[in-house]
Amino acid sequence: MFATKRLGKELAKIHGSLPPGITLVTAEGFQEWLLDIKVLDENPIYLNQTYRLKFKFSQSYPIGIIYVFLALTLNPIQPPEVTFVNTTDRPIPIHPHIYSNGIICLDLLGTQGWSPVQNVESICMSLQSMLTGNTKNERPEGDAQFVASNRRRPRDIDFYYHDNTV
Amino acid sequence: MPPTTHHPLDPSLPHSNSIEPDNDDIAALNIPGSSSSLSSSNIYKHLRTPSTSSLNIRHPIDLRAITYDGAVDENLVCPICRCPLVDPVLTECDHIFCRSCIDDALSNTKLCPIDRSPLDSDGVGRAPKMVHNQLDSLKAKCPRCTSSFARSMLENHLEKYCLEANVKCPGIHSERYCKEVVKRRMSGRGCLHYPVDCPDCKETLLLVEMEEHREDSCNEKLKACEHCGVDILRCKESEHHKECPDIIRPCKWVEYGCQHEAKRKDLHLHTDDCNFKLVGPMADTLKKEISILRSDMRSLAETNHLQERRIKFLESGQRASDRPMELMDLSLANLPESANTEPLDSGHEYLLSLLESQQSRLSQLSNELADFQGKNTMMLLNETIPIKNELSELRSTQQVTCMHVRWLMRFRMQENQRRFGGSPGPGPSGSPDGGSGSDLPFSRRLSDSAPRDIITKL
Repeated sequence: MFATKRLGKELAKIHGSLPPGITLVTAEGFQEWLLDIKVLDENPIYLNQTYRLKFKFSQSYPIGIIYVFLALTLNPIQPPEVTFVNTTDRPIPIHPHIYSNGIICLDLLGTQGWSPVQNVESICMSLQSMLTGNTKNERPEGDAQFVASNRRRPRDIDFYYHDNTV
Repeated sequence: MPPTTHHPLDPSLPHSNSIEPDNDDIAALNIPGSSSSLSSSNIYKHLRTPSTSSLNIRHPIDLRAITYDGAVDENLVCPICRCPLVDPVLTECDHIFCRSCIDDALSNTKLCPIDRSPLDSDGVGRAPKMVHNQLDSLKAKCPRCTSSFARSMLENHLEKYCLEANVKCPGIHSERYCKEVVKRRMSGRGCLHYPVDCPDCKETLLLVEMEEHREDSCNEKLKACEHCGVDILRCKESEHHKECPDIIRPCKWVEYGCQHEAKRKDLHLHTDDCNFKLVGPMADTLKKEISILRSDMRSLAETNHLQERRIKFLESGQRASDRPMELMDLSLANLPESANTEPLDSGHEYLLSLLESQQSRLSQLSNELADFQGKNTMMLLNETIPIKNELSELRSTQQVTCMHVRWLMRFRMQENQRRFGGSPGPGPSGSPDGGSGSDLPFSRRLSDSAPRDIITKL
């Protein structure tokens, strides 16, 4: 209920205006939204590319509540699950913190770094600036191994946020 | 027609326990178009009598679900729920949130959601009164009737005034003790919670729902108009007939004898061919003239009647004035006599004439009284003016005498000074006791000579 109301407000605002380089693709219901982002400056790594983001919202967005279903404990699910999606004309951007399966290592999207005042628009802008500021045309360390072995949901992964340079 | 005896409600009816969900969920309810006929101006036309005010029901509102008028200032919006703040609180780090939002957020992490500084529920206090006032004055739409009110007034509006809000059924006071709720605009018609048959589809349902049923959900709600064939609501049939283009209507000159009848949309074709197109307007004007003349005649007859009565009165008055005054006063004794002699219509008119004569005498008396009063005042004035003159004369004489006495006193004091000037003792002013005691002979002599001095001075 809470998540629906809040997302309804966000959607109304997104339909009204969005910052440059961010466009709404679909927002069917209040579980999953797709947005496209572009890097606006002349960064050669991302020049003329559009990337697709998938937002998955929990019932308790933007505040996490621990749900207990038949002894199955779900983690606190406060932040939305945000990943890049690979389609024919929408590649996964090359970035030392973005794995080739689209999973993003960003403290903002983790349980610890999330704050309920963040919203879809602010996440998109954070990712935009993360790409804009990047100079290394490479995947994270151990990308192939992570992609091959990871079965966890992105928010359950305990990233070690060590690199503040990019 | 409602039945004269009310049937007891079947508790298994789906509507018999509708109070609870209605109260809890009122704000979330959306009633599209339900109040399009209501404007804010007639919201308060519904006068509440003391008996209906006891039927009010509290309507708790979810302030996050209502629609606000225009854009709300960003500074009054909670950064967590993105709604205008509800019960705002201020954190130690000077950020404002809804109380429930920050409580939820702190139950998750003990950090301020905005600046991530450590924060727990003790560091959260009530926001300044000004913030509360600003939020309370935000205009929001009533979830029922969609007219706008200050946010803080909405609950009061729903509880006491909103015509679309629920009130307890007036039947709660009757012997049936009806526990239903009903919209306020329907509450003036007594308890409507008894089953009746829909006149269209023969379905049995509560009278309170009949209006909505016949306009909305009834299977037989539509019928083709027998004249124009358009589908119309059965309950609005008579309204439609007033404007149906295919209904047969007589020519507008029917009262002057035109026999023509045609469909409403074709009537204008007939107006040019109508035999009465010249006679009709003329007859109309004549009719108007006649009615004016009639009313004129009526008013003239009335004045005529009045004047006749006056004439009769004057005649009787003349005759009565020949008699001595004493006889006039014996009004009742005079009645049979005058009734025989005078051609008065009835004793009633005689009494009227008598009243008029009494009135004229009264006015005469009052005139005389005024005359007398005037004379009296004149006499009084004539008497008092000489007295006043004398009084003022006396006053001036007294003043002159006073002046003389003062002059003489000064004169004597100067004399005293001259006499005892060298000797030690009291100063030039001297003590009044000593002076008067020792100077008694001088003062007497001086007063003897005073008239002469005055004469020389004057």
